[in-house]
Order: sequence, then C-alpha cells, then structure tokens
Amino acid sequence: MKYILMMNGKRSDFEGYAKWSKEDLRANVAFMRTFSKELKDSGVFVSTEGLGWPSEAKLVRAGKNGEPITDGVFPESKEFLAGYWIIDVESPEQAYKIAARASQAPGAGGQPANMPIEVRPVLSGHADLGL
Amino acid sequence: MKYILLMSGTRAGVEAYHAWPKQDIEAHMAVLHRINQDLTESGEFVATQGLAEPKEAKVVRGEKNGVPVTDGIFPESKEFLLGYWIVDVPNAERAYAIAGRISAASVNMPIEVRQFATHEA
Repeated sequence: MKYILMMNGKRSDFEGYAKWSKEDLRANVAFMRTFSKELKDSGVFVSTEGLGWPSEAKLVRAGKNGEPITDGVFPESKEFLAGYWIIDVESPEQAYKIAARASQAPGAGGQPANMPIEVRPVLSGHADLGL
Repeated sequence: MKYILLMSGTRAGVEAYHAWPKQDIEAHMAVLHRINQDLTESGEFVATQGLAEPKEAKVVRGEKNGVPVTDGIFPESKEFLLGYWIVDVPNAERAYAIAGRISAASVNMPIEVRQFATHEA
C-alpha cells in the first residue's frame, strides 16, 4: 500500500526555518538524507520532493476563455506543502512509524522538532474513486 | 524547470464532489485523463498522483521514544491535498497555462503552482 507523508507549514514556519543557525540547518538536512537512504535501503522508498518557498507560490484559475489567471495572495493561515515522501509499505502502522521518525528530524537547537506529518493513502487509479 | 501543480480542497468540498452525478464525475475524470495524455505527448509529463479522501488522513508526531502518535482531527477549514501533477516545462507561464487548463476542467478550482527546492537533492 502506498502512502504519502506530507510536511506542511505556514509562511511564518518557513520564515522561522530560514532563521535557524547554519549548524541546525545542516543537521536537519543531514537527517533528511539519512532518512531517505534508510527508506531506500529498506525497500519502501517510492519518491520524495522538496518544494520551493511559499513566496514563489502562485494560485491559478482559468478565465472565461481558458486563459490562466494567476494570483500570489494567500491567507496567513494557509498551510503550504513543504515536501513529501511516498512510501510503499505493508500497513498503515508501518507508515505511521516512518512518519514518526520524520517528525523527529532535528529542529532549532538540534532537538527533535516533532513537527506534524500528515499521512494519507495514495490512489492507485480511478477505480479507487468508485468509477 | 519542474513545477508541481497542487489541487487542494476542504472536506466539505470533497463531499460536494461526491454528490455530483456519476456522469459528471466521469466527464471530469475523462478531461483530466485527456490532459495527462496531452502532457505525455508533449513530453512535459513527469508524474501525477491522486490522494485518498481526507477522512483517511492522519497526522503523526513522534514521541520522545519514537513511538508514533496519530490523530485524525483537523480543523474544518483545513485544505487537504487532493492530488498533484508534476510537469517539466520551459517556463512558469507554461506551468500556469497547464494549471489553467486543469482549473477549467475542474469547476474553476484554484490550482497552486510551486517550483521545486533547488538546493541539495
């Protein structure tokens, strides 16, 4: 079963992250690298991506004749996706365990950040929507 | 340049979608499928993924001893990621055009367009 593990954060969280000491940032990135390697070594890794900063995010809607209308204004409460992992595991419990490990990535001061990780199954096809 | 196009919605929005007549949902899926085909043919397609419903979402934190603590309670206003497309395009404008097409196919839902992090992979 495939699951996606998502890290989300508000703009202020991203700004906070940018202010971490270089040492703390390095420790965090080193953890993420080790984490990805562990997922690969244990055969559960499918993919991972880190996203660009919220300041570069645009919201796009289609105009009447289909042309894109872009907007870069978001409410302050908006949660932006910071990055994700997709894993292929045997059970939701295994996915939660892996998410808990991601949650313990070191934060400011090198302590586990305990950030919340959202876990969802991913759909294997339209059949999952009942179509 | 790779961009990710994110489609998000609230729990109420997902429930409203499920209340659509089956043929409307099928028509919607057919257009999305067509967009995927077009992106594949133009060589811009990288990946797409639909996510399971918000009711299956859990938020997980690690306790001190690494034990996962799961919680399934989210604020009503929470926007859940419903699915995404990753495209490889020459510029942001092209990514916006594709997002516009997905939006037009999906009752003008807003599509969030983001670049990938450019630092270490």
